[in-house]
Amino acid sequence: MNQRRPTAFAVNDPNVIVAEPDRETDLLQTRTASNAADEATLPATLPDPTMPPRRRWRWGTLFWSALGGLVTLGLGLAVTQLIDDLFTRSTALGWLGLVLAAIATLSFVAIVIREVRGLLRLSAIEELRDDAAATLASDNRDDGIAVVRALLHLTRRTPRLARARKTLNAHLDDIIDGADFVRLAERHLMGPLDREARQLVSAAAKRVSIVTAVSPRAAIDMIFVLITVLGLIRRLAYLYGGRPGALGLIRLMRLCIAHLTVTGGLAVSDGLVQQVLGHGVVAKLSSRLGEGVLNGLLTARLGLAAIETIRPLPFAALTPPKLGDLAAELTRPRDAADRAP
Amino acid sequence: MSDPIANILEQGRLRAGALLDFGKHLIHPTVRLGVTGMSRAGKTVFITALVNGLVRGGRLPVFEALASGRVASAELAPQPDDGVPRFDYETHVRALTVERRWPESTRRISELRLAIEYQAKRGALRTLTLDIVDYPGEWLLDLPLLNKSYEDWARETLTASRQAPRAALAEAWHRHLATLDANGPQDEQAALTAAALFTDYLRACRDRRFAISMLPPGRFLMPGDLAGSPALTFAPLDVPPDGVAPARSLWAMMQRRYESYKAVLVRPFFRDHFSRLDRQIVLVDVLSTLNAGPEALRDLEGALAAILDCFNPGRRSVLSSLFKPRIDRILFAATKADHLHRSSHDRLEAILRRLTERAISRATFAGASIDVIALAAVRATREATIRQGGANLPAILGTPAAGEVMGAQVFDGNTEIAMFPGDLPEDPNVFFNDPSAFRGLASVPAPDADFRFLHLLPPALAEGEPLPHIRLDRTLEFLIGDRLS
Repeated sequence: MNQRRPTAFAVNDPNVIVAEPDRETDLLQTRTASNAADEATLPATLPDPTMPPRRRWRWGTLFWSALGGLVTLGLGLAVTQLIDDLFTRSTALGWLGLVLAAIATLSFVAIVIREVRGLLRLSAIEELRDDAAATLASDNRDDGIAVVRALLHLTRRTPRLARARKTLNAHLDDIIDGADFVRLAERHLMGPLDREARQLVSAAAKRVSIVTAVSPRAAIDMIFVLITVLGLIRRLAYLYGGRPGALGLIRLMRLCIAHLTVTGGLAVSDGLVQQVLGHGVVAKLSSRLGEGVLNGLLTARLGLAAIETIRPLPFAALTPPKLGDLAAELTRPRDAADRAP
Repeated sequence: MSDPIANILEQGRLRAGALLDFGKHLIHPTVRLGVTGMSRAGKTVFITALVNGLVRGGRLPVFEALASGRVASAELAPQPDDGVPRFDYETHVRALTVERRWPESTRRISELRLAIEYQAKRGALRTLTLDIVDYPGEWLLDLPLLNKSYEDWARETLTASRQAPRAALAEAWHRHLATLDANGPQDEQAALTAAALFTDYLRACRDRRFAISMLPPGRFLMPGDLAGSPALTFAPLDVPPDGVAPARSLWAMMQRRYESYKAVLVRPFFRDHFSRLDRQIVLVDVLSTLNAGPEALRDLEGALAAILDCFNPGRRSVLSSLFKPRIDRILFAATKADHLHRSSHDRLEAILRRLTERAISRATFAGASIDVIALAAVRATREATIRQGGANLPAILGTPAAGEVMGAQVFDGNTEIAMFPGDLPEDPNVFFNDPSAFRGLASVPAPDADFRFLHLLPPALAEGEPLPHIRLDRTLEFLIGDRLS
């Protein structure tokens, strides 16, 4: 069974390379086979039977694309006509119109590129999270290193993680297993970000509850809540390394709400029920105040859902922030909340 | 006769001890860590490295409590039992770091207590006490004897000694055994000779070429203070399994001594050190059995199964910790993983998983959490790549001890070499299903063996450098990490 016999070499033999073994790919003869075995032990992912099978040809897409094309053509036609009209009036006006049209087109292209990049980045983060979850289950060392490298790349522009990145980089050559690597990366890179994310969510919740309590019209605080929540999601996304544009933000918002619907049942264990009951008591004192607290809590809940949607790693080594902690901060005096860890 | 009563008394004592411990642990949280392993599995080195890592704050990134700075300090504390010698940590550390040799093999039991001061995640400052016991690994082989009668043990030992490769080693003892009459009158001289020859046979089996593990009774190999006492002067006789020993016969004498061996030596050892464990690490030296051959591997499998059957794994509950302490976490560790390149560690783990299959499924079924890792408490090697005929061999760099042989080379104990010890199989079952799957030192001379894991010297360290290791941090995280959160 053994093709390769035990052998010894002198250290100064020119064939002996004291190399970083991670960069070598052909060391293990049957790398792929052993990976396949690992995957076999994982639970298989079954297609969701309630979803209709994805068809290759979708009429809806075709319709919207065609319609979009028509509208663009129409717009283009209108603009060319406008510029033609301007040229017939005066050459200077015509040139001005042409330049303005060129600038508009250019910036439109730039915006599209930014949006696409933002969306790609978001899907890269989602993929990273899936990979990390798979690595936590399989404990494969190479996958773990790949996840850590991707994470280091994602956070390379975050100045406050400079030290953590350096420490983690130094561990890349240590013999650490896949799941441990992911947990190590989570502790080093996500820990500081989690703390900040918690503060962001708690500050937003506070703002919402105060504005709701003092605003004169329901419409005003609805608009305010919407703006605050969008701002919160955007800031959380930036914090965790995403760069969403408008489309990305809409997508994130949709994911957050989907996440909330999925975990809605968990609200019972999360203490939301007590909070709502508590809100009843507060509402007895002042209906405005009660509404404010409830709105604040809902904002906090959405914020927590946003953290779980945007974070590039699943919560494994660290505990996710709980609504209860945030609610306690909502009702605590200001200075005490600042002192809390 | 008095066996059931003795048993009940014994159980009562165990329960009382557990109740007393429970009271103590309410005030001072304590973890009793059982370090289980045959002789030469690396218990002493493991304990030394563990204590050194905690006390000196070594490089342990995966051990969260220490890496995140929550462990304020870890100090050696006075041990709980005044009657047991202290684990000589300082001497062992000096041996490893300054004198560059492995600690001497353990000859007697010793104990160590470590007080870990840490800050809980919620902020409270607490102290966790970690109790560790070191003992000669040979003694562990006695635990399976507790549930065996003399006749059963004699039959099993004799059957085993008549198989290859043991038969050749047992020849002298077998010749003497043939002259003995079990039903004849008792004879002290015959018993002495038989015991001496039997001990010689056990010693021969333990030689590194054969690396046979299943050699009870363990005190014959490591007698401690009791050498020459009647409790150690018996040997198996060729007796029928269900017969009754005639009064004043040689058989009756051997039987009596076997029973007193269990009562005087085995039972107190088990009661004092194994019945009240919270966590357990099972250290297994898989590589030296691979050196020796398939017989040694199968023998190790049997020995591990018999020993691990004596432990009591399961999920902890208030009731269980009151009366019947359970081991809720077991870590199976293949030691000396530094003798392999990291790309082979998964395969080593697979072999260990296969070796301890029965114990793993039993513990999992009982609700204990288990893990299997390849461990090097002290890492004596570095990694390298050897280019050979277009392919790359994953190799290690280390300094073999003086007198070690590989191929035609004999090493002097000062030269660092690069070596490739052999390929572990992808499917561990190959080694267990086929008796000729690989050749070891027990059957062929050294140059023909399929695996050569040499005896290496400890790493050369600069002053103040922490001991290098492989997965010691993962071990700590698994064994005590949750108690420090």
